[in-house]
Amino acid sequence: MMNAVGIIFSNIYDNALSELTRERTVASLPFAARYRQVDFILSDMSNSGIQHIGIVTKYNYRSLMDHLGSCAEWDLNLKNNGLVILAPYATSHSGIYRGKLEALYNSLDYLQHADEEYVILSDSVAVCAIDFRKVMEEHEDSGCDVTVVVTPYKSNQEKQFPVAVELDAKGNVRDMGIDVSLRDDLGGMGIYVMRREALIEAVKRCAIRGRYHLERDYLLREFNKGDMSIHAYVYRGTALFNFSTIDYYQNSMALLDPEIFHGIFDQRGLTIYTKVRDQVPTYFGEASKIDDCIVADGCRLLGSAEHSIIFRGVTIAKSAKVKDCILMQGCVISEGAELEGMILDKDVVVRPYTVLKGTREHPMIIEKGANI
Amino acid sequence: MKFQKKRCVAMLLAGGQGSRLLCLTENTAKPAVPFGGKYRIIDFPLSNCVNSGIDTVGILTQYQPLELNEYVGNGAPWGLNRNHGGVQILPPFQRSKRSEWYKGTANAIYQNMRFIDRYDPDDVLILSGDHIYKMDYAKMLDFHKDSGADCTIAVRNVPLEEASRFGIMNTNEDGSVYEFEEKPKKPKSTNASMGIYAFRWPVLRKFLIDDEEDPKSDNDFGKNVIPAMLNAGLKLYAYRFDSYWKDVGTIKSLWDANMDLLGDTPAFDLGGKDKIYSRSSAMPGARLAATSVTSNCLIAEGCEVNGTIRDSIVSYGCTIAEGAEVERSVLMPDVVVGPGAVVKNAIVGEGTVIGEGAQIGAAQVLKDENDRKITVIGKDHEIEAGALVKPGEVI
Repeated sequence: MMNAVGIIFSNIYDNALSELTRERTVASLPFAARYRQVDFILSDMSNSGIQHIGIVTKYNYRSLMDHLGSCAEWDLNLKNNGLVILAPYATSHSGIYRGKLEALYNSLDYLQHADEEYVILSDSVAVCAIDFRKVMEEHEDSGCDVTVVVTPYKSNQEKQFPVAVELDAKGNVRDMGIDVSLRDDLGGMGIYVMRREALIEAVKRCAIRGRYHLERDYLLREFNKGDMSIHAYVYRGTALFNFSTIDYYQNSMALLDPEIFHGIFDQRGLTIYTKVRDQVPTYFGEASKIDDCIVADGCRLLGSAEHSIIFRGVTIAKSAKVKDCILMQGCVISEGAELEGMILDKDVVVRPYTVLKGTREHPMIIEKGANI
Repeated sequence: MKFQKKRCVAMLLAGGQGSRLLCLTENTAKPAVPFGGKYRIIDFPLSNCVNSGIDTVGILTQYQPLELNEYVGNGAPWGLNRNHGGVQILPPFQRSKRSEWYKGTANAIYQNMRFIDRYDPDDVLILSGDHIYKMDYAKMLDFHKDSGADCTIAVRNVPLEEASRFGIMNTNEDGSVYEFEEKPKKPKSTNASMGIYAFRWPVLRKFLIDDEEDPKSDNDFGKNVIPAMLNAGLKLYAYRFDSYWKDVGTIKSLWDANMDLLGDTPAFDLGGKDKIYSRSSAMPGARLAATSVTSNCLIAEGCEVNGTIRDSIVSYGCTIAEGAEVERSVLMPDVVVGPGAVVKNAIVGEGTVIGEGAQIGAAQVLKDENDRKITVIGKDHEIEAGALVKPGEVI
């Protein structure tokens, strides 16, 4: 067991994923054919021996509660601690929170009642198989007040990260910025380690001064004043970040690359768990043609699909064609329909011979339950 | 602790060796044999119980119970982790005066009378751990209660030429049984017993005690207890069940039952309202490469398909390498079929690795279905690259 409480924020970046998070948290966004985003960090924490985890919610969290259930799938249905949903509650001196610090202020007694020495804070946008034991070990060795988990980001596409850092020879942070667009740099994964007592103090201090933004009002501010030493743990494994809708689409397609797929799903001792739905294995029809796809259980695939992510319980009828698509749970593609460059939210029904086309650069999104 | 009274307790006979499944049951009990891509045989009676509102199930184990015990665990995958009732594994145990293995099906229940007594049930349902079917036991129990029977036996209509392989129930018009014949040479009817019995517990209890005292008895329900009840003039009824049901006690029947899951309208549909539950393997979705060819097959999660799969069941975690061909076969979990290897008309056990270019049951010319020779490879075998395994061979 690890000497740390895990805190997962479920609602950060909701706005950037607008259509997809209208009725759900970023944490419960379906990803990779059978998972929800929170499954990754939650499984990582559980696999790393963190047995005391709070998930901070703000709104739209019913789907998240339904998904987590008793948490037995993650082995977190424990007598002592386990997983708790920290639902928002407004008191006379606190409203619905604006940032992570205010959210934590709402859940201050949860933090105060824990007896672990450390806290690991994480957003729910990172998709990776990270071993938090290694992060903690490095944090303790560094002697720094805080550790941020960063990953080398390299792409010809700029991506905005919550935190960017420059390191000294010891791997400690020499310079830091927030909300920075990166091309070839170390980007923060939204994961921080610090002492629980220190966090409680900071949350209280910031609350009276009306500060609520964890990175800006606490980490960056204290660091710039010279009151906080920050170490960076450089995670070199595979990591995907769904900060925006286009990220979400591109990362889904990136999973079709076996190297990325295995980098997330085949890491020894770091199995990713999710809610069990007891679906039957997928049936591939006599004339099915399924190429370069990831397919979950419970589908009936009679037509053709190419370069797509197919969630649980999807039906593709005979003579229907799907290309470059994400089809979430329970979608039905009727005969003769043709789809390209689409993201279909859950339970969308596409009528016979409907043609829908987006592009790889601008995929079109169809909202949950639509009948088109 | 005070036990809640239960209307019905189910007792699942899961102790048989299943020797006709050859190498597939070498180290595991028959009910733990994988089926249908992500299930094990025991999932069917267990899920039927849950879907029929029966929440107290005793599982009688004896042969190679390790894997079965581990699989059933606390019963959570079936919703059988209950404060009152739930699932309980019942192995033979030592007693103060004597201890013994389960001598027969009836003796297994006899040795666990105390388990059943605690729930003071009206009825006890006896189930088998080697049948593939979906059945609403509640309907059978209602029939049992309404007819006022002491014992109700589920029967199904079998072809006359096959009737001599079964225990046959000869019934009156109202379904009451007047005669039971075990594997008759000249069957009078085609009502074959499915090995599913509902007994009024106080009645069965008495007959189990009597049966135990008879040194000549084989302590078997079909051979001893049912005939004894008939002789005593008790009310026995046959309950007709004609939906899909398969005893998967042999290699051929296990292969057939798997094949019955295929097709646009399969002979046996795993889906539908009454789900079959199983312990989940927590694997990501199946990956189908651009080179994959799939036709009429079930493929479970965690598979990686680069080659060709036709008319087959591929369980979770299997890898089919490029150029490999799998046809009319059942691959149990975590099987690897190497590049260019061919697997035809075969059942391949869990974790077996088939080397590059190996040929399993490949060169088989079928004139009709009776010619089909099923090749069987057991669990965790390694078939060398280029190896030739002849049709019908068992490894």
